[in-house]
Amino acid sequence: MCGVGGIYFKTADHGAKTGEIAYRILNGIFRRGPDSTGVALWHANEDDLLYVGINYETPSAGATIIEVLDRLGTVQQATDGEGYVRAAISYSGSEQELVNAIDTLDPAITVGSVGRHLEVLKQMGGVANLDDKFSLKSYNGRLAMGLTRYATESNIDFTNAQPLTARANSDLAIMHNGHITNYHHLRSHYALKGYQFATQNDSEVIPIMLIDEMSKGASFEDALHISIEKLDGCFTYIAVTEDRFAVVKDPYAAKPAVVAETDELVALSSDPQSLREGVLTDIEVWEPGAGEVHIWKM
Amino acid sequence: MENVETLTLDCSDKPTREINNIIRQAADDGVAAIEILNTQARHNIGVGILKPIHLIYRGHVGYYTVGLCDGVTAEIHGSSGWGVGDNLLTGEVVVEGNAASSAAPSLRGGRVVVKGSGGPRTAVYLKSGEVIVGGDAGYMSGFMMQNGRLIICGNAAKGLGDSMYQGQIWLGGEADEIGSGIEQTDPETGELEDVLATLERFKIKAPKTLKKLQSDKSLWNFNKHDFAAWKDAL
Repeated sequence: MCGVGGIYFKTADHGAKTGEIAYRILNGIFRRGPDSTGVALWHANEDDLLYVGINYETPSAGATIIEVLDRLGTVQQATDGEGYVRAAISYSGSEQELVNAIDTLDPAITVGSVGRHLEVLKQMGGVANLDDKFSLKSYNGRLAMGLTRYATESNIDFTNAQPLTARANSDLAIMHNGHITNYHHLRSHYALKGYQFATQNDSEVIPIMLIDEMSKGASFEDALHISIEKLDGCFTYIAVTEDRFAVVKDPYAAKPAVVAETDELVALSSDPQSLREGVLTDIEVWEPGAGEVHIWKM
Repeated sequence: MENVETLTLDCSDKPTREINNIIRQAADDGVAAIEILNTQARHNIGVGILKPIHLIYRGHVGYYTVGLCDGVTAEIHGSSGWGVGDNLLTGEVVVEGNAASSAAPSLRGGRVVVKGSGGPRTAVYLKSGEVIVGGDAGYMSGFMMQNGRLIICGNAAKGLGDSMYQGQIWLGGEADEIGSGIEQTDPETGELEDVLATLERFKIKAPKTLKKLQSDKSLWNFNKHDFAAWKDAL
Protein backbone atom coordinates (compact mmCIF):
# COMPACT_ATOMS: atom_id res chain seq x y z
CA MET A 1 0.00 0.00 0.00
CA CYS A 2 2.05 2.96 1.32
CA GLY A 3 0.48 6.26 2.30
CA VAL A 4 1.41 9.71 1.05
CA GLY A 5 0.41 13.04 2.50
CA GLY A 6 1.39 16.37 3.91
CA ILE A 7 0.66 20.03 4.30
CA TYR A 8 1.59 23.29 2.58
CA PHE A 9 0.87 26.79 3.88
CA LYS A 10 0.31 29.44 1.24
CA THR A 11 1.78 32.27 3.29
CA ALA A 12 4.88 32.32 5.44
CA ASP A 13 3.08 33.93 8.42
CA HIS A 14 0.64 31.06 8.91
CA GLY A 15 1.23 30.92 12.64
CA ALA A 16 0.43 27.22 12.74
CA LYS A 17 2.54 24.20 13.49
CA THR A 18 3.32 22.65 10.13
CA GLY A 19 5.27 19.81 11.72
CA GLU A 20 2.44 18.94 14.09
CA ILE A 21 -0.09 18.82 11.27
CA ALA A 22 2.23 16.70 9.11
CA TYR A 23 2.72 14.43 12.13
CA ARG A 24 -1.01 13.86 12.49
CA ILE A 25 -1.54 13.32 8.76
CA LEU A 26 1.28 10.76 8.59
CA ASN A 27 0.12 9.12 11.80
CA GLY A 28 -3.32 8.75 10.22
CA ILE A 29 -1.84 6.80 7.30
CA PHE A 30 0.48 4.69 9.44
CA ARG A 31 -1.73 1.64 8.78
CA ARG A 32 -1.04 2.02 5.06
CA GLY A 33 2.70 1.80 5.62
CA PRO A 34 4.10 0.66 8.96
CA ASP A 35 7.64 -0.15 7.70
CA SER A 36 9.18 3.31 7.59
CA THR A 37 8.18 6.95 7.54
CA GLY A 38 9.87 9.83 5.78
CA VAL A 39 9.21 13.46 5.15
CA ALA A 40 10.49 16.24 2.88
CA LEU A 41 10.65 19.65 4.55
CA TRP A 42 10.96 22.94 2.71
CA HIS A 43 13.35 25.57 4.07
CA ALA A 44 13.64 29.23 3.00
CA ASN A 45 17.38 28.74 3.56
CA GLU A 46 18.40 32.34 4.16
CA ASP A 47 21.79 31.19 5.52
CA ASP A 48 22.70 29.42 2.26
CA LEU A 49 23.11 26.01 3.82
CA LEU A 50 23.14 22.64 2.12
CA TYR A 51 20.73 20.10 3.62
CA VAL A 52 22.17 16.61 3.43
CA GLY A 53 20.54 13.33 4.40
CA ILE A 54 22.70 10.20 4.60
CA ASN A 55 21.52 6.60 4.90
CA TYR A 56 23.74 4.12 6.69
CA GLU A 57 23.14 0.46 7.35
CA THR A 58 26.49 -0.02 9.16
CA PRO A 59 25.83 0.27 12.92
CA SER A 60 27.25 3.36 14.66
CA ALA A 61 28.56 4.97 11.47
CA GLY A 62 26.76 8.23 12.26
CA ALA A 63 29.62 9.95 14.08
CA THR A 64 32.07 9.11 11.30
CA ILE A 65 29.70 10.48 8.68
CA ILE A 66 29.32 13.76 10.58
CA GLU A 67 33.14 14.01 10.87
CA VAL A 68 33.52 13.49 7.13
CA LEU A 69 30.87 16.10 6.41
CA ASP A 70 32.71 18.56 8.65
CA ARG A 71 35.86 17.93 6.66
CA LEU A 72 34.10 18.48 3.34
CA GLY A 73 32.33 21.62 4.56
CA THR A 74 31.36 23.12 7.91
CA VAL A 75 28.63 21.34 9.79
CA GLN A 76 26.19 23.88 11.24
CA GLN A 77 23.72 21.36 12.57
CA ALA A 78 23.73 17.58 12.53
CA THR A 79 21.67 14.84 14.14
CA ASP A 80 22.52 11.17 14.10
CA GLY A 81 19.19 9.36 13.74
CA GLU A 82 20.77 5.88 14.10
CA GLY A 83 20.60 4.79 10.47
CA TYR A 84 20.13 8.23 9.00
CA VAL A 85 22.16 11.39 9.47
CA ARG A 86 20.51 14.75 9.02
CA ALA A 87 22.89 17.66 8.53
CA ALA A 88 22.87 21.29 7.48
CA ILE A 89 26.31 22.32 6.30
CA SER A 90 28.03 25.35 4.85
CA TYR A 91 29.46 24.07 1.61
CA SER A 92 30.33 25.84 -1.60
CA GLY A 93 31.86 22.95 -3.58
CA SER A 94 30.28 20.62 -6.10
CA GLU A 95 27.28 18.68 -4.83
CA GLN A 96 28.24 15.72 -6.99
CA GLU A 97 31.72 15.59 -5.41
CA LEU A 98 30.13 15.57 -1.96
CA VAL A 99 27.83 12.71 -2.98
CA ASN A 100 30.81 10.75 -4.40
CA ALA A 101 32.90 11.37 -1.27
CA ILE A 102 30.18 9.97 1.01
CA ASP A 103 29.16 7.09 -1.27
CA THR A 104 32.74 5.80 -1.45
CA LEU A 105 33.16 5.62 2.37
CA ASP A 106 31.40 2.27 2.66
CA PRO A 107 28.94 0.39 0.40
CA ALA A 108 26.38 0.59 3.21
CA ILE A 109 26.58 4.39 3.38
CA THR A 110 24.80 6.41 0.71
CA VAL A 111 23.66 9.97 0.31
CA GLY A 112 19.87 9.97 0.39
CA SER A 113 19.28 13.59 -0.45
CA VAL A 114 21.06 16.88 -1.06
CA GLY A 115 19.05 20.07 -1.20
CA ARG A 116 19.24 23.84 -0.99
CA HIS A 117 15.58 24.11 -0.02
CA LEU A 118 14.48 20.55 0.55
CA GLU A 119 15.53 18.39 3.44
CA VAL A 120 14.57 14.72 3.66
CA LEU A 121 14.18 12.91 6.99
CA LYS A 122 13.59 9.19 7.39
CA GLN A 123 13.05 6.67 10.17
CA MET A 124 11.96 3.08 10.48
CA GLY A 125 8.44 2.49 11.78
CA GLY A 126 5.89 5.22 12.32
CA VAL A 127 6.04 8.98 12.47
CA ALA A 128 6.56 8.90 16.25
CA ASN A 129 10.12 7.67 15.60
CA LEU A 130 10.66 10.50 13.14
CA ASP A 131 9.63 12.96 15.81
CA ASP A 132 11.76 11.26 18.51
CA LYS A 133 14.91 11.44 16.40
CA PHE A 134 14.41 14.63 14.41
CA SER A 135 11.72 16.63 16.28
CA LEU A 136 9.37 16.72 13.30
CA LYS A 137 6.69 18.47 15.35
CA SER A 138 8.92 21.51 15.88
CA TYR A 139 9.23 22.13 12.12
CA ASN A 140 7.39 25.35 11.35
CA GLY A 141 8.21 26.08 7.73
CA ARG A 142 5.75 26.13 4.86
CA LEU A 143 5.79 22.60 3.48
CA ALA A 144 6.07 19.11 4.93
CA MET A 145 5.14 16.17 2.67
CA GLY A 146 5.81 12.57 3.57
CA LEU A 147 5.26 8.90 3.03
CA THR A 148 4.52 5.87 5.19
CA ARG A 149 6.11 2.88 3.48
CA TYR A 150 4.78 -0.62 3.02
CA ALA A 151 7.78 -2.24 1.37
CA THR A 152 7.16 -4.55 -1.56
CA GLU A 153 10.12 -4.49 -3.93
CA SER A 154 13.15 -3.74 -1.81
CA ASN A 155 14.47 -4.08 1.72
CA ILE A 156 13.00 -2.45 4.76
CA ASP A 157 15.93 -0.21 5.60
CA PHE A 158 16.97 3.43 5.55
CA THR A 159 18.46 3.30 2.06
CA ASN A 160 15.26 2.10 0.44
CA ALA A 161 12.93 4.22 2.55
CA GLN A 162 11.19 7.18 0.95
CA PRO A 163 11.12 10.11 0.11
CA LEU A 164 13.60 9.48 -2.69
CA THR A 165 15.53 12.07 -4.63
CA ALA A 166 17.84 12.34 -7.62
CA ARG A 167 20.47 13.55 -5.13
CA ALA A 168 23.03 16.12 -6.41
CA ASN A 169 21.80 19.37 -8.00
CA SER A 170 18.16 18.42 -7.95
CA ASP A 171 16.10 19.81 -5.04
CA LEU A 172 13.42 17.33 -5.91
CA ALA A 173 11.81 14.79 -3.61
CA ILE A 174 9.34 12.06 -4.55
CA MET A 175 6.88 10.18 -2.41
CA HIS A 176 5.46 7.28 -4.40
CA ASN A 177 2.60 4.95 -3.54
CA GLY A 178 2.43 2.11 -6.04
CA HIS A 179 4.62 -0.14 -8.13
CA ILE A 180 6.57 0.69 -11.28
CA THR A 181 6.43 -2.50 -13.33
CA ASN A 182 8.86 -1.38 -16.06
CA TYR A 183 11.39 -0.29 -13.43
CA HIS A 184 14.23 -2.59 -14.51
CA HIS A 185 13.93 -1.49 -18.11
CA LEU A 186 13.88 2.19 -17.14
CA ARG A 187 16.70 1.78 -14.64
CA SER A 188 19.04 0.26 -17.21
CA HIS A 189 18.09 3.00 -19.65
CA TYR A 190 19.00 5.78 -17.20
CA ALA A 191 22.03 3.95 -15.80
CA LEU A 192 23.42 3.74 -19.34
CA LYS A 193 22.92 7.48 -19.62
CA GLY A 194 25.13 7.89 -16.54
CA TYR A 195 22.58 8.38 -13.76
CA GLN A 196 23.56 6.89 -10.41
CA PHE A 197 21.00 4.78 -8.59
CA ALA A 198 21.55 4.69 -4.84
CA THR A 199 18.79 2.23 -3.89
CA GLN A 200 16.98 -0.89 -5.08
CA ASN A 201 13.63 0.86 -4.75
CA ASP A 202 11.56 1.03 -7.96
CA SER A 203 10.34 4.50 -6.95
CA GLU A 204 13.85 5.94 -7.40
CA VAL A 205 13.39 5.90 -11.16
CA ILE A 206 10.74 8.63 -10.86
CA PRO A 207 12.96 11.50 -9.63
CA ILE A 208 15.67 10.43 -12.09
CA MET A 209 13.19 10.40 -14.97
CA LEU A 210 11.90 13.86 -14.01
CA ILE A 211 15.43 15.29 -13.73
CA ASP A 212 16.36 13.74 -17.08
CA GLU A 213 13.30 15.19 -18.82
CA MET A 214 13.90 18.63 -17.30
CA SER A 215 17.57 18.53 -18.30
CA LYS A 216 16.34 18.01 -21.88
CA GLY A 217 14.29 21.21 -21.62
CA ALA A 218 10.92 20.00 -20.38
CA SER A 219 9.16 22.14 -17.78
CA PHE A 220 8.33 20.54 -14.43
CA GLU A 221 4.72 20.17 -15.58
CA ASP A 222 5.72 18.60 -18.91
CA ALA A 223 8.07 16.20 -17.12
CA LEU A 224 5.25 15.05 -14.86
CA HIS A 225 2.99 14.41 -17.87
CA ILE A 226 5.79 12.53 -19.63
CA SER A 227 6.24 10.38 -16.52
CA ILE A 228 2.60 9.26 -16.79
CA GLU A 229 3.34 8.10 -20.34
CA LYS A 230 6.64 6.41 -19.56
CA LEU A 231 5.94 4.77 -16.22
CA ASP A 232 4.10 1.49 -16.31
CA GLY A 233 2.24 0.20 -13.29
CA CYS A 234 0.17 1.91 -10.66
CA PHE A 235 1.22 5.07 -8.94
CA THR A 236 0.10 8.10 -7.08
CA TYR A 237 3.08 10.25 -6.28
CA ILE A 238 3.82 13.61 -4.74
CA ALA A 239 6.72 15.57 -6.21
CA VAL A 240 8.21 18.53 -4.35
CA THR A 241 10.76 20.99 -5.75
CA GLU A 242 12.25 24.21 -4.42
CA ASP A 243 9.19 26.23 -5.56
CA ARG A 244 6.45 23.78 -6.58
CA PHE A 245 4.74 20.63 -5.53
CA ALA A 246 2.45 18.31 -7.41
CA VAL A 247 0.31 15.24 -7.12
CA VAL A 248 0.35 12.83 -10.06
CA LYS A 249 -1.96 9.89 -10.68
CA ASP A 250 -1.60 6.96 -13.04
CA PRO A 251 -4.10 6.46 -15.91
CA TYR A 252 -5.96 3.81 -13.89
CA ALA A 253 -6.42 5.89 -10.71
CA ALA A 254 -5.39 2.77 -8.84
CA LYS A 255 -3.98 4.50 -5.77
CA PRO A 256 -5.87 6.99 -3.67
CA ALA A 257 -5.03 10.59 -2.83
CA VAL A 258 -7.35 13.30 -1.67
CA VAL A 259 -6.76 17.03 -1.60
CA ALA A 260 -8.17 19.77 0.60
CA GLU A 261 -7.50 23.38 -0.28
CA THR A 262 -8.47 26.61 1.49
CA ASP A 263 -7.20 30.20 1.21
CA GLU A 264 -4.49 29.32 3.74
CA LEU A 265 -3.39 25.80 2.96
CA VAL A 266 -3.25 22.76 0.74
CA ALA A 267 -3.35 19.37 2.47
CA LEU A 268 -2.86 16.03 0.74
CA SER A 269 -3.33 12.50 1.94
CA SER A 270 -4.01 8.97 0.78
CA ASP A 271 -6.85 8.90 3.22
CA PRO A 272 -9.49 11.56 3.95
CA GLN A 273 -9.64 10.48 7.57
CA SER A 274 -5.95 11.25 8.15
CA LEU A 275 -6.36 14.57 6.41
CA ARG A 276 -9.11 15.59 8.77
CA GLU A 277 -7.08 14.40 11.75
CA GLY A 278 -4.30 16.59 10.41
CA VAL A 279 -6.14 19.86 10.04
CA LEU A 280 -8.63 19.09 12.83
CA THR A 281 -11.70 20.22 10.90
CA ASP A 282 -14.27 18.45 8.77
CA ILE A 283 -12.68 20.00 5.69
CA GLU A 284 -14.09 19.37 2.18
CA VAL A 285 -11.87 17.07 0.11
CA TRP A 286 -11.68 16.09 -3.57
CA GLU A 287 -9.82 13.38 -5.37
CA PRO A 288 -7.69 13.94 -8.51
CA GLY A 289 -8.81 11.75 -11.41
CA ALA A 290 -7.07 9.16 -13.54
CA GLY A 291 -3.96 10.37 -15.36
CA GLU A 292 -4.17 13.84 -13.82
CA VAL A 293 -1.39 16.19 -12.74
CA HIS A 294 -2.10 18.94 -10.22
CA ILE A 295 0.61 21.49 -9.48
CA TRP A 296 0.78 24.22 -6.87
CA LYS A 297 3.31 27.02 -7.14
CA MET A 298 4.73 28.02 -3.79
CA MET B 1 -32.57 -1.23 23.52
CA GLU B 2 -36.05 -2.50 22.87
CA ASN B 3 -38.84 -0.01 22.15
CA VAL B 4 -36.37 2.68 21.19
CA GLU B 5 -37.31 4.30 17.92
CA THR B 6 -34.13 6.21 17.04
CA LEU B 7 -30.83 5.67 18.76
CA THR B 8 -28.02 8.19 18.73
CA LEU B 9 -24.52 6.77 18.38
CA ASP B 10 -21.47 8.96 18.90
CA CYS B 11 -18.44 7.41 17.20
CA SER B 12 -15.84 9.72 18.70
CA ASP B 13 -14.90 7.58 21.70
CA LYS B 14 -15.53 4.10 20.28
CA PRO B 15 -13.47 1.63 18.30
CA THR B 16 -14.93 0.53 14.94
CA ARG B 17 -15.79 -2.99 16.09
CA GLU B 18 -17.82 -1.68 19.03
CA ILE B 19 -19.72 0.73 16.75
CA ASN B 20 -20.63 -2.08 14.37
CA ASN B 21 -21.64 -4.34 17.22
CA ILE B 22 -23.96 -1.63 18.61
CA ILE B 23 -25.57 -1.18 15.18
CA ARG B 24 -25.90 -4.95 14.71
CA GLN B 25 -27.48 -5.36 18.16
CA ALA B 26 -29.89 -2.49 17.50
CA ALA B 27 -30.95 -4.10 14.21
CA ASP B 28 -31.49 -7.41 16.04
CA ASP B 29 -33.57 -5.59 18.67
CA GLY B 30 -35.78 -4.04 16.00
CA VAL B 31 -34.61 -0.45 16.45
CA ALA B 32 -35.94 1.56 13.51
CA ALA B 33 -33.11 4.01 13.03
CA ILE B 34 -29.71 5.11 14.32
CA GLU B 35 -28.32 8.58 13.97
CA ILE B 36 -24.54 8.25 13.73
CA LEU B 37 -22.52 11.26 14.88
CA ASN B 38 -18.84 12.22 14.57
CA THR B 39 -18.08 9.84 11.75
CA GLN B 40 -14.94 11.91 10.93
CA ALA B 41 -14.43 10.05 7.64
CA ARG B 42 -13.72 6.85 9.58
CA HIS B 43 -13.70 3.57 7.68
CA ASN B 44 -15.99 0.55 8.02
CA ILE B 45 -18.76 2.22 9.99
CA GLY B 46 -21.96 0.19 9.55
CA VAL B 47 -20.50 -2.96 8.00
CA GLY B 48 -21.96 -6.47 8.03
CA ILE B 49 -25.48 -5.50 9.19
CA LEU B 50 -27.85 -8.21 8.01
CA LYS B 51 -31.18 -7.05 9.43
CA PRO B 52 -33.20 -4.02 8.35
CA ILE B 53 -32.34 -0.72 10.04
CA HIS B 54 -32.09 2.90 8.88
CA LEU B 55 -28.71 4.58 9.36
CA ILE B 56 -28.33 8.36 9.33
CA TYR B 57 -24.68 9.41 9.04
CA ARG B 58 -24.10 13.01 10.09
CA GLY B 59 -20.83 13.86 8.38
CA HIS B 60 -18.27 12.46 5.96
CA VAL B 61 -17.58 8.76 6.00
CA GLY B 62 -14.51 6.71 5.05
CA TYR B 63 -14.09 3.42 3.19
CA TYR B 64 -16.65 0.60 2.87
CA THR B 65 -19.53 2.35 4.61
CA VAL B 66 -22.66 0.14 4.54
CA GLY B 67 -20.48 -2.64 3.10
CA LEU B 68 -21.62 -6.28 3.19
CA CYS B 69 -25.11 -5.29 4.34
CA ASP B 70 -28.54 -6.72 3.65
CA GLY B 71 -31.77 -4.76 3.97
CA VAL B 72 -30.12 -1.66 5.42
CA THR B 73 -31.18 1.81 4.31
CA ALA B 74 -28.82 4.71 4.87
CA GLU B 75 -28.49 8.43 4.28
CA ILE B 76 -25.01 9.89 4.37
CA HIS B 77 -24.97 13.63 4.96
CA GLY B 78 -21.49 14.20 3.62
CA SER B 79 -19.10 12.57 1.18
CA SER B 80 -17.96 8.98 1.22
CA GLY B 81 -14.59 7.27 0.81
CA TRP B 82 -13.89 4.21 -1.37
CA GLY B 83 -16.36 1.39 -1.83
CA VAL B 84 -19.55 2.78 -0.30
CA GLY B 85 -22.29 0.10 -0.25
CA ASP B 86 -19.80 -2.65 -1.12
CA ASN B 87 -21.59 -5.87 -2.10
CA LEU B 88 -25.02 -4.67 -0.93
CA LEU B 89 -27.59 -7.46 -1.16
CA THR B 90 -30.74 -5.38 -0.70
CA GLY B 91 -31.32 -1.93 0.73
CA GLU B 92 -30.64 1.64 -0.25
CA VAL B 93 -27.79 4.07 0.37
CA VAL B 94 -28.04 7.77 -0.43
CA VAL B 95 -24.82 9.81 -0.37
CA GLU B 96 -25.60 13.53 -0.32
CA GLY B 97 -22.05 14.52 -1.27
CA ASN B 98 -19.46 12.91 -3.55
CA ALA B 99 -18.25 9.32 -3.49
CA ALA B 100 -14.59 8.33 -3.95
CA SER B 101 -13.32 5.39 -6.02
CA SER B 102 -15.29 2.22 -6.56
CA ALA B 103 -18.62 3.43 -5.18
CA ALA B 104 -21.17 0.62 -5.01
CA PRO B 105 -18.82 -2.18 -6.14
CA SER B 106 -20.24 -5.64 -6.82
CA LEU B 107 -23.76 -4.62 -5.89
CA ARG B 108 -26.00 -7.69 -5.89
CA GLY B 109 -29.21 -5.77 -5.34
CA GLY B 110 -30.63 -2.64 -3.79
CA ARG B 111 -29.66 0.86 -4.79
CA VAL B 112 -26.83 3.33 -4.18
CA VAL B 113 -27.50 6.98 -4.97
CA VAL B 114 -24.62 9.49 -5.11
CA LYS B 115 -26.05 12.99 -5.41
CA GLY B 116 -22.66 14.54 -6.13
CA SER B 117 -20.02 12.96 -8.36
CA GLY B 118 -18.61 9.46 -8.29
CA GLY B 119 -14.90 8.63 -8.51
CA PRO B 120 -13.14 6.09 -10.74
CA ARG B 121 -14.78 2.67 -11.15
CA THR B 122 -18.20 3.75 -9.88
CA ALA B 123 -20.52 0.70 -10.01
CA VAL B 124 -17.66 -1.58 -10.96
CA TYR B 125 -18.79 -5.19 -11.36
CA LEU B 126 -22.45 -4.29 -10.83
CA LYS B 127 -24.29 -7.58 -10.63
CA SER B 128 -27.81 -6.36 -10.04
CA GLY B 129 -29.61 -3.41 -8.49
CA GLU B 130 -29.11 0.22 -9.37
CA VAL B 131 -26.49 2.95 -9.02
CA ILE B 132 -27.40 6.59 -9.62
CA VAL B 133 -24.85 9.41 -9.91
CA GLY B 134 -26.22 12.96 -9.87
CA GLY B 135 -22.98 14.50 -11.14
CA ASP B 136 -20.07 13.07 -13.12
CA ALA B 137 -18.58 9.58 -12.92
CA GLY B 138 -14.86 8.79 -13.03
CA TYR B 139 -12.60 6.54 -15.08
CA MET B 140 -13.92 3.07 -15.96
CA SER B 141 -17.31 3.48 -14.35
CA GLY B 142 -19.54 0.44 -14.89
CA PHE B 143 -16.48 -1.68 -15.74
CA MET B 144 -17.45 -5.34 -16.16
CA MET B 145 -21.08 -4.73 -15.24
CA GLN B 146 -22.98 -7.99 -15.29
CA ASN B 147 -26.47 -6.68 -14.82
CA GLY B 148 -28.43 -3.87 -13.21
CA ARG B 149 -28.76 -0.22 -14.12
CA LEU B 150 -26.25 2.62 -13.82
CA ILE B 151 -27.58 6.16 -14.30
CA ILE B 152 -25.07 9.01 -14.68
CA CYS B 153 -26.65 12.45 -15.01
CA GLY B 154 -23.40 14.28 -15.80
CA ASN B 155 -20.35 13.31 -17.83
CA ALA B 156 -18.26 10.16 -17.65
CA ALA B 157 -14.47 9.80 -17.90
CA LYS B 158 -12.71 7.30 -20.19
CA GLY B 159 -13.63 3.64 -20.38
CA LEU B 160 -17.32 3.95 -19.49
CA GLY B 161 -18.91 0.49 -19.27
CA ASP B 162 -15.79 -1.25 -20.57
CA SER B 163 -16.30 -5.00 -20.98
CA MET B 164 -19.83 -4.95 -19.60
CA TYR B 165 -21.81 -8.15 -20.10
CA GLN B 166 -25.38 -7.10 -19.53
CA GLY B 167 -27.39 -4.36 -17.86
CA GLN B 168 -27.91 -0.74 -18.85
CA ILE B 169 -26.02 2.51 -18.52
CA TRP B 170 -27.93 5.76 -18.88
CA LEU B 171 -25.74 8.77 -19.55
CA GLY B 172 -26.92 12.40 -19.39
CA GLY B 173 -23.72 14.12 -20.49
CA GLU B 174 -20.83 12.96 -22.62
CA ALA B 175 -18.24 10.24 -22.08
CA ASP B 176 -14.57 11.09 -22.70
CA GLU B 177 -14.41 7.69 -24.37
CA ILE B 178 -16.83 4.77 -24.42
CA GLY B 179 -15.31 1.49 -23.24
CA SER B 180 -14.81 -1.58 -25.41
CA GLY B 181 -17.81 -3.67 -26.30
CA ILE B 182 -20.64 -1.24 -25.67
CA GLU B 183 -23.05 0.59 -27.94
CA GLN B 184 -25.82 3.15 -27.79
CA THR B 185 -29.29 1.74 -28.38
CA ASP B 186 -32.83 3.04 -28.51
CA PRO B 187 -34.75 2.74 -25.27
CA GLU B 188 -37.70 0.42 -25.18
CA THR B 189 -41.15 1.73 -24.33
CA GLY B 190 -41.37 3.03 -20.77
CA GLU B 191 -37.65 2.64 -19.95
CA LEU B 192 -36.79 6.34 -20.12
CA GLU B 193 -39.91 7.26 -18.13
CA ASP B 194 -38.85 4.81 -15.45
CA VAL B 195 -35.37 6.39 -15.25
CA LEU B 196 -36.87 9.89 -14.99
CA ALA B 197 -39.31 8.79 -12.30
CA THR B 198 -36.43 7.28 -10.30
CA LEU B 199 -34.44 10.53 -10.52
CA GLU B 200 -37.53 12.48 -9.48
CA ARG B 201 -37.94 10.23 -6.45
CA PHE B 202 -34.47 11.25 -5.23
CA LYS B 203 -34.97 14.90 -6.21
CA ILE B 204 -32.11 14.74 -8.68
CA LYS B 205 -32.47 17.17 -11.60
CA ALA B 206 -32.78 15.10 -14.74
CA PRO B 207 -30.46 16.01 -17.61
CA LYS B 208 -32.04 17.28 -20.85
CA THR B 209 -31.34 14.04 -22.65
CA LEU B 210 -30.31 10.56 -21.57
CA LYS B 211 -28.55 8.04 -23.77
CA LYS B 212 -29.01 4.33 -23.21
CA LEU B 213 -25.85 2.22 -23.51
CA GLN B 214 -25.52 -1.52 -23.32
CA SER B 215 -23.20 -4.36 -24.29
CA ASP B 216 -22.86 -4.93 -28.02
CA LYS B 217 -22.00 -8.55 -27.15
CA SER B 218 -18.80 -8.35 -29.23
CA LEU B 219 -16.73 -9.49 -26.24
CA TRP B 220 -19.03 -12.31 -25.25
CA ASN B 221 -17.09 -14.76 -27.38
CA PHE B 222 -13.48 -14.69 -28.47
CA ASN B 223 -12.96 -13.98 -32.14
CA LYS B 224 -9.35 -13.95 -33.27
CA HIS B 225 -10.19 -11.45 -36.03
CA ASP B 226 -11.11 -8.96 -33.30
CA PHE B 227 -7.77 -9.21 -31.55
CA ALA B 228 -7.42 -5.40 -31.48
CA ALA B 229 -10.63 -5.03 -29.48
CA TRP B 230 -9.44 -7.65 -26.98
CA LYS B 231 -6.13 -5.90 -26.60
CA ASP B 232 -7.91 -2.68 -25.62
CA ALA B 233 -10.37 -4.42 -23.31
CA LEU B 234 -8.45 -4.53 -20.06
